[in-house]
Amino acid sequence: MSVFSVFDQLQNSDIATLISRQDHLFGAGAQLLHISGLILVLASILIVSLRLLGLGLVQVPLPRLVKATAQFIWIGLALLAVSGVIIFLPAADHYYPNPVFWLKFGLLAFAIVLHLTWYRRVTKQESVKPFIARSTAAVLLTTWFGIAYAARFIGFY
Amino acid sequence: MSLPAIAEWLNDTQIGVAVRESVYAFPIIEGAHLIGLALSLGLILFVDLRLTGFFLREVSIAGILYSLRGWLLLGFGLTLSTGAVLFLAEASKLIFLPVFWLKVSLIFLAGLNAAWFEVKWGRQAGNWQQLTVLPTGVRFAGWASLLLWFGVLSCGRLIPYLGAGL
Repeated sequence: MSVFSVFDQLQNSDIATLISRQDHLFGAGAQLLHISGLILVLASILIVSLRLLGLGLVQVPLPRLVKATAQFIWIGLALLAVSGVIIFLPAADHYYPNPVFWLKFGLLAFAIVLHLTWYRRVTKQESVKPFIARSTAAVLLTTWFGIAYAARFIGFY
Repeated sequence: MSLPAIAEWLNDTQIGVAVRESVYAFPIIEGAHLIGLALSLGLILFVDLRLTGFFLREVSIAGILYSLRGWLLLGFGLTLSTGAVLFLAEASKLIFLPVFWLKVSLIFLAGLNAAWFEVKWGRQAGNWQQLTVLPTGVRFAGWASLLLWFGVLSCGRLIPYLGAGL
């Protein structure tokens, strides 16, 4: 079974049909949840990165800041996932040939793996070696803000 | 000069025309507007969460405020400047859209709330470290900021949906 036929079946599923029958403001509501979740995630990543770079909240121990932002990252990701499925399903066939769509999800897969491995390991330490701290922040910011930027392009491509 | 005439004139400025007619300019500026939002609304969200007691309660409000202020203002600079360019490209449509004026009003109110907070509490923020419960006005300002900015975000996201018919 090809990837496209999976997308096609998703678009023709009962749930997708149900979503596409809703008023267009239902779609707008999903978009609003999506951007709210995105701001929660991006701002959390930003705040931790600023701390890693020594440019903000340097008075807060790194593990403490990471613990305080973790709940907002997961709330944000949950909002993104739920609203993302609602946005994706009724237009799955339309997204399939869009290269920016695949770029976004490639970056997202990388970001999640990075978050569960490297991010966890580095941010456990009270003091991180400057080189490690700086490069971690640079990769985090590029990846997550890259996802947001790619996402904004999908609809225009 | 009437408002529609001004909007028409803004709409026909070189920047307005260039952004409207280019394939890439619009999404590039939209993307920058979104990143500006993550800095401005995102960081103010954490300040508000601190004021309302949901984030880093053991760290002083002044410490959080002063540490993030520069980034926050940079974010607002990026959001406002990209927003102004996006407005130019669609000025003659946007001025007839109630949700656009609602968004502008809410931005004004949120700004007023922040200014009021600065004037009334700004200099005292350093003395709150010993307090377990903050003055009611401070928490009120935090909640007002959260709600107002969420309203601004909602209006902004709704503009393309409510303006499609224009």
